Amino acid sequence: MPDTLAIHTADLRKTYGDVEALRGLNLAVPPGSIFGFLGRNGAGKTTTIKVLLGMVRPTSGHAQVFGLAADVPESSVEIRRRIGFVSEDKDLVDFMTVEAIIRFTAKFYPRWRTDLEQKYLRLFALPADRRVKALSRGMRTKLALLLALCRGADLLILDEPTSGLDPAVTEEVLQALVAHVANEEAAIFFSTHQIAEVDQIADRVAIVDAGRTVVTGALDDLRESYRRIQFVFDGDAPEPTFRARGVERVRRKGRVLSVLSSAGTEHIVEEARALGPLSVDVVPVTLKEIFLETVTAEG
Amino acid sequence: MIFRPNSASGVPIYLQLMEQVKHAVETGALRPGEQLPGIRPLAEELVINPNTVAKAYRELEHEGVIELRHGAGAFVADNARARKSGDKVRAAQPIVAAAVERLRDRGLTDEEIRRLFEAELSGLSKTGGRSA
Amino acid sequence: MVWYKAWLETRWRFLIGLGLVVLGAMGAVFTYPQVASLVTLGEKVDATTRVGRAVVESAHLSRTYAGYIWSQWFGQNLPQYWTVFALMLGSGGLLTQASRGGALYTLSLPASRNELVWTRAAVSLAELAALAIVPALVLPLMSPAVGQTYALGDALVYGVCLFVGGTVLFSATFLLSTVFSDMWKPFLIVLLVAMFVAVCRQIIPALGSYTPFGVMSAETYFRGGTLPWAGLIVSALVSGVLLIGAARNIARQDF
Repeated sequence: MPDTLAIHTADLRKTYGDVEALRGLNLAVPPGSIFGFLGRNGAGKTTTIKVLLGMVRPTSGHAQVFGLAADVPESSVEIRRRIGFVSEDKDLVDFMTVEAIIRFTAKFYPRWRTDLEQKYLRLFALPADRRVKALSRGMRTKLALLLALCRGADLLILDEPTSGLDPAVTEEVLQALVAHVANEEAAIFFSTHQIAEVDQIADRVAIVDAGRTVVTGALDDLRESYRRIQFVFDGDAPEPTFRARGVERVRRKGRVLSVLSSAGTEHIVEEARALGPLSVDVVPVTLKEIFLETVTAEG
Repeated sequence: MIFRPNSASGVPIYLQLMEQVKHAVETGALRPGEQLPGIRPLAEELVINPNTVAKAYRELEHEGVIELRHGAGAFVADNARARKSGDKVRAAQPIVAAAVERLRDRGLTDEEIRRLFEAELSGLSKTGGRSA
Repeated sequence: MVWYKAWLETRWRFLIGLGLVVLGAMGAVFTYPQVASLVTLGEKVDATTRVGRAVVESAHLSRTYAGYIWSQWFGQNLPQYWTVFALMLGSGGLLTQASRGGALYTLSLPASRNELVWTRAAVSLAELAALAIVPALVLPLMSPAVGQTYALGDALVYGVCLFVGGTVLFSATFLLSTVFSDMWKPFLIVLLVAMFVAVCRQIIPALGSYTPFGVMSAETYFRGGTLPWAGLIVSALVSGVLLIGAARNIARQDF
């Protein structure tokens, strides 16, 4: 790798008691990208993020941020010097005022950007002397975001940044993120349920299911290579085993055979044609369809 | 540039952006020689990934609709090339209209027609998709 | 920075405790005149029951000002108040915060787990030292107001013995706070054990100097002029071990 990856995990595993939260998760986030991390509840998104931040120690496997080991306490501190983080619950210090927590946080980061602080205070209209616990959910999120954005960080890790926000505030948050990447050349790694958001601002994506990455790549590449191929047969559709690579999911319903392919459409069509379908249709699929097909798949 | 990209539609955002620019050129909202918004400011305004804007601009340059001048920005291409690409598209339009009309006469629905075009474009014709 | 946060989190417990112990000390000083007048009465109490014996002893001690101060304040009330605050300051911490949702911000800061734990311990110990020594200083300062004197040296001895002898109570609570996420469990467990030990001390006075309370009240100093060195050293060492255990727990914890 010419540039060190912002985030790199290899076969990351985490077991809590007898629950396997992560079962060999692989991630590669290049610097400067906006990386969407999609998955259902309980798929392992928050656990992964906690490993990267040194809050949880992995059972086995590797996790690195900017080439620094996330599971070694000393390098973990170094990692945290260089990243901004917003937790799912927008964890802050409840009893401090907005002003106080900004001043307090700034002390930990020598590269603190007071210009960005002023900009976001104005933009987000945060009341300086209100206590954090008295803030609305939207304001709390914006404050947490401000604290992450002003650190001069090379990477932002956000756990469901727009959860519980109304569409207008969501757009404000996304806009701040895009502006940050555009102007500051930082990378953003965010987990979310909102596929539309990933479609809108991400350039790379990873879909995680049951503790493993099931789909990953540049969004444009995924949109260009994933296809749904539909075959209609005269009688009941057969259940072929495809030799061609790239078959992600096969479904039969009556006379229709539906295949989700990630590559090699032509070869798949060729194989199926041998079974004599009446018609073949190839259509592109949205990220939402890819998500739904790859996370609800059995086995 | 006033439009909201629709991330939920099947059309990639960079294509939507390209369409918007071409439309603006054709209707005269963007004049030849006029400067387009910078990649970063435009990404911020539309709330989309800067790489998406960059890709749209690259493709538009490839099609001759705009010029990317190093260090200066993106500009609508001069009259001849802009009109030429506009002409190309405009000339193709009746061909498509006629084809769609004929397919409709055969009783195909719009959705079926769309799928046929999509299949055609994704190279199925090489392997002989339809076998009936 | 991390110090400041630890201060903010413990400040009210400390300030309220400080107010209480200072008022208590002043109270002890200013009630002396009344007590002095009751001494002869106390000595006449029937000394055959255990309670009776305690009253007679207490009255006897109160014949002198120093004796009164020790039996009422340094030997009894101050250690009791101080213990409550030692337990309160030992409670809380990251595990409690995590269970209520509020530790992730702290854990995302560029500070190591050790830094977070030791800073919290150090700030709390500094506060406990103040809670032991400041009220002790009230004695030499305010005794002249009731026509008595109290040696600064003595006051400092009692203050320091209280603090050093009592750190083991703080550290035990602190360690338990890295095991139980419930805010009150560590407090209640150590409180129960402490009360049990205190009762044992009442019943078997000979055990007295071996208990933390014996060391905290510097009984050997009061009665014989020698500091409870063994007790102080053991307390400090045990405290250290307990705190190291707490730091290890936090270092290993998944949040």
